[in-house]
Amino acid sequence: MQHTINPEAHGPRGAAMADAVSACVHCGFCLSACPTYSVLGEEMDSPRGRIYLMKSVLEGDLAATDAQPYIDRCLGCMGCEPACPSGVAYGDLLTSYRALQEETRQRPLIDSVTRRMIVETLPYPKRFRAAAKLGRLGKLMQAALPDQLGAMLGLLPDQLPAPVHLPAKIPAKGQRRARVALLTGCVQTVLAPQINQATVDVLTANGVEVVIPQNQGCCGSIMSHIGETQRAQRLAAHNLQAFPTDVDAIITNAAGCGSGMHEYGLLFKGTAQEAAATHFAQQVQDVTVFLAALGLRAMPATQPARRVAYHDACHLAHAQGVTDPPRALLNSIPNLTLVELDNDLCCGSAGTYNLEQPEIAAELGQRKAQSIIETNADMVVMGNIGCFTQVETHLARLQADVSVLHTIELLARAYQ
Amino acid sequence: MLTSTFYTQLAEICPGNRCLTRAVDLLPYESDALTAFRATPGAVVLPETEAEVIALVRLCHQAGVPFVARGSGTSLSGGSLPIQDGVVIALNRLNAILKIDPEQRTAVVQPGVINLNISKAVAKHNLYYAPDPSSQSICTIGGNVAFNSGGAHCLKYGMTSNHVLAMRVVLPDGEVVEMGSESVEGMGVGPDLIGMFIGSEGLFGIALEITVRLLPIPEQYRTVLAAYDSLESAGNAVAAVVASGLLPGAMEIMDKLALKAAETAVQAGYPAGAVALLIVELEGEAEQVEHEFAQLIDVIKASGAYEIQVAETAAQRAKIWKGRKGAFSSVGRLSPDYVVQDGVVPRSQLGKALAEIERLSADYGLAVANVFHAGDGNLHPLILYDGRQPGALEHAEAFAGEILKLCIALGGTITGEHGVGMEKRAYMPLLFSETDMDAMYAIRLAVDTKLVANPGKKLPSDEAPALKLHGMHPLEQAGIISRE
Amino acid sequence: MSKSPTTAAEVAKIVNAATHVTAVGGRSKWTFPAADTVTEIDLSQLSGIVAYAPDEYTFTAKANTPLVEIINTLAARQQYLPFDPLLANAGATLGGTVACNTSGSGRLRYGGVRDFILGVRFVDGNGNVLRGGGNVVKNASGFDLPKFMVGSLGRYGIMTEITMKVFPKPAAFGTLVLQFESVAAALQASFALANQPFELDAFDFRHTNGSTTAWIRLGGLPNTLQPRLTRLQTWLQTHTSVQTIDTLLEDAAHWQGINALAFAADSPNVVKIPLPPRKLLHLDEDPAIDLAHYYCAGNVALVTTTDITALGSALTRLGLNGLLLRGTATNPQLGTRHWLPFAQRIKTALDPHQKFLEI
Repeated sequence: MQHTINPEAHGPRGAAMADAVSACVHCGFCLSACPTYSVLGEEMDSPRGRIYLMKSVLEGDLAATDAQPYIDRCLGCMGCEPACPSGVAYGDLLTSYRALQEETRQRPLIDSVTRRMIVETLPYPKRFRAAAKLGRLGKLMQAALPDQLGAMLGLLPDQLPAPVHLPAKIPAKGQRRARVALLTGCVQTVLAPQINQATVDVLTANGVEVVIPQNQGCCGSIMSHIGETQRAQRLAAHNLQAFPTDVDAIITNAAGCGSGMHEYGLLFKGTAQEAAATHFAQQVQDVTVFLAALGLRAMPATQPARRVAYHDACHLAHAQGVTDPPRALLNSIPNLTLVELDNDLCCGSAGTYNLEQPEIAAELGQRKAQSIIETNADMVVMGNIGCFTQVETHLARLQADVSVLHTIELLARAYQ
Repeated sequence: MLTSTFYTQLAEICPGNRCLTRAVDLLPYESDALTAFRATPGAVVLPETEAEVIALVRLCHQAGVPFVARGSGTSLSGGSLPIQDGVVIALNRLNAILKIDPEQRTAVVQPGVINLNISKAVAKHNLYYAPDPSSQSICTIGGNVAFNSGGAHCLKYGMTSNHVLAMRVVLPDGEVVEMGSESVEGMGVGPDLIGMFIGSEGLFGIALEITVRLLPIPEQYRTVLAAYDSLESAGNAVAAVVASGLLPGAMEIMDKLALKAAETAVQAGYPAGAVALLIVELEGEAEQVEHEFAQLIDVIKASGAYEIQVAETAAQRAKIWKGRKGAFSSVGRLSPDYVVQDGVVPRSQLGKALAEIERLSADYGLAVANVFHAGDGNLHPLILYDGRQPGALEHAEAFAGEILKLCIALGGTITGEHGVGMEKRAYMPLLFSETDMDAMYAIRLAVDTKLVANPGKKLPSDEAPALKLHGMHPLEQAGIISRE
Repeated sequence: MSKSPTTAAEVAKIVNAATHVTAVGGRSKWTFPAADTVTEIDLSQLSGIVAYAPDEYTFTAKANTPLVEIINTLAARQQYLPFDPLLANAGATLGGTVACNTSGSGRLRYGGVRDFILGVRFVDGNGNVLRGGGNVVKNASGFDLPKFMVGSLGRYGIMTEITMKVFPKPAAFGTLVLQFESVAAALQASFALANQPFELDAFDFRHTNGSTTAWIRLGGLPNTLQPRLTRLQTWLQTHTSVQTIDTLLEDAAHWQGINALAFAADSPNVVKIPLPPRKLLHLDEDPAIDLAHYYCAGNVALVTTTDITALGSALTRLGLNGLLLRGTATNPQLGTRHWLPFAQRIKTALDPHQKFLEI
């Protein structure tokens, strides 16, 4: 598409944004892959429309504040990327654009409060744990709170699980086949520590030595995806130091983290750390990708009958293109029937989205839950903590008896 | 400019944020999939009921404000381009499949339903909706009706028009008319108004409810890829397949450039290095298809293909078609801009047409990617240009014009399925005589006396033709226009 | 007064000069009492195939070309008009087939007249020779006047030349004859077949002498035909309430008989009714109908009646319409016509002086 964007006028990522706009041919193939378009049915809430709006802002023809509500409504699910025949790097455009706008952005008070809570607590497990406990008190007052804060509290579990401590090194069982470092994540360690435990169990059961850098922190993906570039860089820079380089892979079990870490090159573009960040990004693998490539050791043949629906987390399927490995792993569990969902759109969780756009998030969550129920599955599995909370919440609202598990948790059970 | 009274009336029909008037909301509606044209509407309205659509049309007619109905805005001819300061009636929220009748093999849908969603909804009955434009994952039935959309599988089963049995439409003056029935015989009695409405590019009003026919999903597909070292020999292979008496569901050709783009997009594993790739798909009863397949392979071997591949799995077949269907857009990877043409030539003239396009490409110094419905003789040359260069668009359009003239000269037509839209209006008089054009204007004026329904599209000018000096103009005779 | 023009220009001249005109072709269908003020245009001189391109699957013929001539010419190149235009052997012409929209049993497989017409040349009520469509199989330029002419009954223009698409003709055909207890049972069988992969060329049925006979035709390659018929037969036996199934020996003769409306040979009036199959049973019970032959898997009925007026009322009541194929009437159109307002607008453009019959 033609544009008159001057790449130099928009910082180090100007060229990436201009390229994405150039590549777009306005064909509309992205519309059907866009969750907000499916809910709202208007052009401004589609990838094509947002590209057009971002283009107009970057060209100087439209005030950024006018376009902002539509850019904010984008889940960043990246469903549009695989749907795009002309290869528009929508994610690069969106992240770069958000970062650019965040520098000058004024937010209304309530948004600032929510956002401040997000940026100040989510990346830090201790703070988040404390906030989550407070939040449980807040739940009592939920009805009196504005929608956004209400939604935030609504997603908190009634009881926090006990923390799990993982040692710095866990040896492989049997012959060692590989050595990896594990990102334990921030929100996940508080809300679902058993996922990390399961990851360690399955990896070690398959002959993988697992290193857990003890001083690791949040990977910064959430911050990067909502345009808080400096915070994201700070957090990422910390992890560049914290992780060893002499491992076969850096493993994540949270799709959002994985996709963010794959973008480290872009995050540090034009800085001294660009090369190190790019190398780190190349090391990052989702746990399912790593295991599928490694090949699973046999698990006990006697397994209960399971009917399992697999939900493609956006940050795994779209942002990282990972769809086959988790399915292959699940299919290798004896006595398991894998079923596909009709609705392959985002569940509405999308990082902080269910906190920032509660109405659309709720609609998408309900649609997703509905499609899970329609498969008659006993359980639904997925590879992202964010989806986890959202799907569980909406299944519960529809009073569905479907358990929600991380792919790796189910694998861990199969090895027990 | 629209009056404030008119805006108030619009907002009464579509209240709140369903009546868009701010610049930020109108901008994304400026273009469809032909971005060479842009126009800013005065308003975009998002009706949610049929009654609202009718009220909007009546209001526009009464106020003399032009309108264009819009689905997903995927037109490649600028058909859904807004009228400057006019109204865009976006039908995306009228997206209900109202009824599925597997026994009668029909479905009743609203205009905003996405083409592919019909097939998805009826798949559990082992049925599908046959017309498959490349944009089927997003284009709407309303748009398909307006443009008589085709697709890869027209050869055997025809276009949109051949699959619509009944419609309720609102004419440009607001009158609502029902036509056809749930019988496959459709209209049955009386002139085929369904055929007349379909492909009228919005000039006859808006389809409100559409009854389509469904077909059983073929029991067996056989998808064959044949690689050739020249476009001409691939074109001749098409003629050979047709002459052999086979009736494939689809026959498509992609050239080197289109293949490169499509392969980058989907990694379908198209034969490497092919100058031209022919895709032939047989479908039908298993027993019959297997015998036809053997026959097809013989014909293709004899046609000089240097490599033949056969899709072994459903997933492989899906990938081949995904690449083919996304081919136009994937050319966006090769060039910042392109114009797509849609001319048709008799199948026997394909080789000649392709050779001539190649020559013109050299003359104009503009690269062409060819990806087209060979079985129908429906060419889709994509002319690549860089719109940032001054005069580049005009140069590309001049080239496109030569291709259209070539198609006419070879006994074909200027558009097979994309419609005339904005882009090919000027070429209509090359195809039709003045008398023919006058008759079309007369029909158009009789249906839309105020010229409010998508004016400026399809016909060269949205005004009445210039009055002739001698004798009565047909429209004068008809009492439609006068010299006062 | 009758005139026999030899060119489209001559037709135009006659239309210009006359107050009212009506075109006559092969006279194989209904007859109507002609008023003295009407100039009859006998199209018999506008006959003959103008161009036939077997490799293109298309031909162009003058409007009054007899179907038989076309069918034979196509057959020599193993091609055909799959929709079985009715009354071919009775002298029906291509123009009459288009004007009356008379598809026959073969309509089931690939569609009817409207699905095969590509181009038309006609004289409108202003005396202009107009052209619509073209010679190629796909065409989105201009309004679709060729389709508009299908079923137009000479009320908007007089066709002089028509271009059609054709298809390769199956090398072999075979027909199963089925017995059902009732029309309802045959209809149920057609519903059961609706989502099956069998590609039927025709599916007709008729109730006579206390039982319902159905005929199902398959076409294809000779070496696959028998296994396909056998498979279909087995399926029908297990999935429908069919009582007996036999193979028909005289396949071609049988379908020619239906094409000639042989079953209605003794009836003065035959009416063709497009029919949503679900309404079939309501129609079937109507006392105005003497005999009903259903084709296209119950989507079209050919009925005989002695009382056209009563049948017309029945059709109106059922929300259906029909066209008199054989018989005498001033207006061969029966039943409801919701579409008139749209047609009326086009009529004012193409025939502002009402040279042709009222719609």
